[in-house]
Amino acid sequence: MATTQSPLPNSNDDKPQAVSEVVQQANQVHQEATKQSVPASVFVNSEPIREDQVSNAVKFLSHPKVRGSPVIYRRSFLEKKGLTKEEIDEAFRRVPDSSPSSQPASLNQDGQATSSNVQTQAPIQTLQPVAAAPAGIVSSGIIARRQFHWYHAVSAVGLLAASGCGTALLIKKVIIPKLKLWVRKVVLEEENDYAKKIDSKPSLAEEAAAAAKAAAAAAADVAKASQEMLNSKNEERRRFEEFMNLMDAQMQEMKSMSNSIRKLEGQANSSGRTFYDHDDHRASASSTKQSYVNGKVDANLQPGRSSTPPASAEPPHPKSYMEIMEMIQRGEKPSNIREVNDMPPNPNQQLSNPRITPRTKPWESQNGPRQVLQSQTSAEGLIQNGVDNGLNYLVDDESSTPWWQRKNVRITEIENEDEVKAVGPYGVRTNEQPPVQRTWVPPQPPPVAMAEAAEAIRRPKSAPKETVMQEQLADDQSAARPSEVSDELQRITKMSESAGAVEVNGTGNSTVIQEQENSYEGN
Amino acid sequence: MPVFKTPFNGYSVRFSPFYESRLAVATAQNFGILGNGRVHVIDLAPSGPVINELIAFDTADGVYDVAWSESHDSVLVAAVADGSMKVYDTALPPQANPVRSLKEHAREVHGLDYNPTRRDSFLSASWDDSVKLWTLDRPTSLRTFREHAYCVYSVAWNPKHADVFASASGDCTVRIWDVREPGSTMIIPGHEHEILSCDWNKYDECLIATASVDKSIKIWDVRNYRVPVSVLNGHGYAVRKIKFSPHRRNLLVSCSYDMTVCLWDFMVEDALVGRYDHHTEFAVGVDLSVLVDGLMASTGWDELVYVWQQGMDPRAA
Repeated sequence: MATTQSPLPNSNDDKPQAVSEVVQQANQVHQEATKQSVPASVFVNSEPIREDQVSNAVKFLSHPKVRGSPVIYRRSFLEKKGLTKEEIDEAFRRVPDSSPSSQPASLNQDGQATSSNVQTQAPIQTLQPVAAAPAGIVSSGIIARRQFHWYHAVSAVGLLAASGCGTALLIKKVIIPKLKLWVRKVVLEEENDYAKKIDSKPSLAEEAAAAAKAAAAAAADVAKASQEMLNSKNEERRRFEEFMNLMDAQMQEMKSMSNSIRKLEGQANSSGRTFYDHDDHRASASSTKQSYVNGKVDANLQPGRSSTPPASAEPPHPKSYMEIMEMIQRGEKPSNIREVNDMPPNPNQQLSNPRITPRTKPWESQNGPRQVLQSQTSAEGLIQNGVDNGLNYLVDDESSTPWWQRKNVRITEIENEDEVKAVGPYGVRTNEQPPVQRTWVPPQPPPVAMAEAAEAIRRPKSAPKETVMQEQLADDQSAARPSEVSDELQRITKMSESAGAVEVNGTGNSTVIQEQENSYEGN
Repeated sequence: MPVFKTPFNGYSVRFSPFYESRLAVATAQNFGILGNGRVHVIDLAPSGPVINELIAFDTADGVYDVAWSESHDSVLVAAVADGSMKVYDTALPPQANPVRSLKEHAREVHGLDYNPTRRDSFLSASWDDSVKLWTLDRPTSLRTFREHAYCVYSVAWNPKHADVFASASGDCTVRIWDVREPGSTMIIPGHEHEILSCDWNKYDECLIATASVDKSIKIWDVRNYRVPVSVLNGHGYAVRKIKFSPHRRNLLVSCSYDMTVCLWDFMVEDALVGRYDHHTEFAVGVDLSVLVDGLMASTGWDELVYVWQQGMDPRAA
């Protein structure tokens, strides 16, 4: 704070300073509060971006085959590898966008990129690369590896043939003349040799040397040419193989495309449904001829996803399930289907007014007394409700515990483990809804009736929560409790007179209490 | 313990949050492959182990899930396989039902959840990869959440934070969303296979459980979601649905294609605390009552609905 020992003329300054300081502090607090509220959400990724993951993702995205797949599958693959959204976005940013670099066939990619996030179904997306056939893109150099079409295959075959012919021609043109040349030279030499053997010996030798040189040069040329031929042939073959592989991949996709089309058609004609069975079913259904039940997914799954079911066999299907599947695949419709009109007769029909106010959930009711009041009013509403509220048994005097609420001793053994929590909802609930309380008969209320001994034993060891509960109970319904307890006693004695079943429960509960105490002490 | 026989294969069962003895059952003909559907509203008779049907509603296509309204005691919503959702009001005469048909999803609606805290809105999870937010008073959805790469099988509101929910999808991830945010706030790549169900712990709002085709159930803490808190193994086939107990912090129930319903305590070393094998076909739906501690119900493709107290034999007379 400002200086306290200030002379009078400065005191006026102090005050505005103090005020401004207070305001500043308030602002700071406010800012801190707002800052706290933002990261307080635990449902957000707070990890920093991991560079190694991003670089791996960039490598993945730069792969040419990946570039041919829809964006949604690339994202899905990266998500499955554990990358966060931020990392994936960063990777996409770093890689040149989904459209390829300089191919004339980029029309396709654009179509893919824009459609990947549209509501069209995933299989239809891959129809586009097949549909949009870029024509005449055969370039002598690198042919686009994504754009693939029949034309390319044909032209590749033609090229190979042409190169083969060229090679043959070239060989003919190069080798044979050279051979002829050489042969002629030799023959000439022989003739000359015979004519002027003695004279032209040195010239013969020279000529021979020259001829040898020429032959050697020719041979070298031939070798070079043939080597070039071999290389180009190898290259062509390699490219051809690449093309074939891509062709195969495209064939697969097209097959699955046709499957999905058939399936879609089938759906449109209501002649069947692609049952999106989980992998378990898929393997079994595939035993029949390729069915559209296998559906779109196998081929189009994001890269890296194994579409095979878990190692062990798929679950055994009911016989009639397989029969129905086969019927659908044959195009038959099961005979038990009938035309049902399930459209609303009046789409603007008003919903009926709710008759019961919503009850608090068991996990909410640990929050405070407010809910107690709310549900008390709801409980009163419950009593007033008449027919068809499922609580008619309240009116019945006998066996007012419905069968679904009687519990085993065995169950309460499990309760012992988290007894504290279990008592919580019960403790509050018995308070909240007095009329329903009678029907609850959870194991705890009899302990309440059996009283103070149980509480006294529990209290010194009890967690703060329990004491809070006790206090709440005490505060809220101090007057009502004794009467409730006495009601409990009366009812229990009455029931024991009539049925004797509760007695069993009662003793069961008492043993339960012992166990609870024991376990609690043991904890 | 009473049994209710449905004409069609059972898909989902839910206790009413208002009436202790009331349940809704979603069923579909021909195992849900193709055919009609029916929603049953059933009552437990207080006198003996008998179940009575209060009313049933027929639908053109199979019903995959059903949810009770938290604001109106007589209203329930049904998720239909033709992509629509039907709203029924049992307090109105049967001819007036359904009161609404909400059709926006492009594919089957597979999961529904009604907001238990704010009680005014509900979510639908669909095989068209999206989740939609609705209220009863509006004919169109309020929000659409589209990020999953594959079918969304299940959606669950957080019991403490009225704006937060989770969705489980066949793209093997669980996403946490906040309705105030445009996109998901967290992605948990929980399993290597499809995740069929998810549910929040009612007493610890940061714990979420996921059930997957890989036969396991994993418990995650969203504050440290890289490693699961616990992995529950024991089912023989895919786990179809899980539900945390509204009354016990550590208890959850699951049902699976191995035809059993299992009870788990995930804080204990030997987590499996109960196993019920009363179904003779896939056990597909299970629920724990919010109003009665220990009361549970299950349904399956064997066209039977069982309601029993925890610890008792569901097939006992």
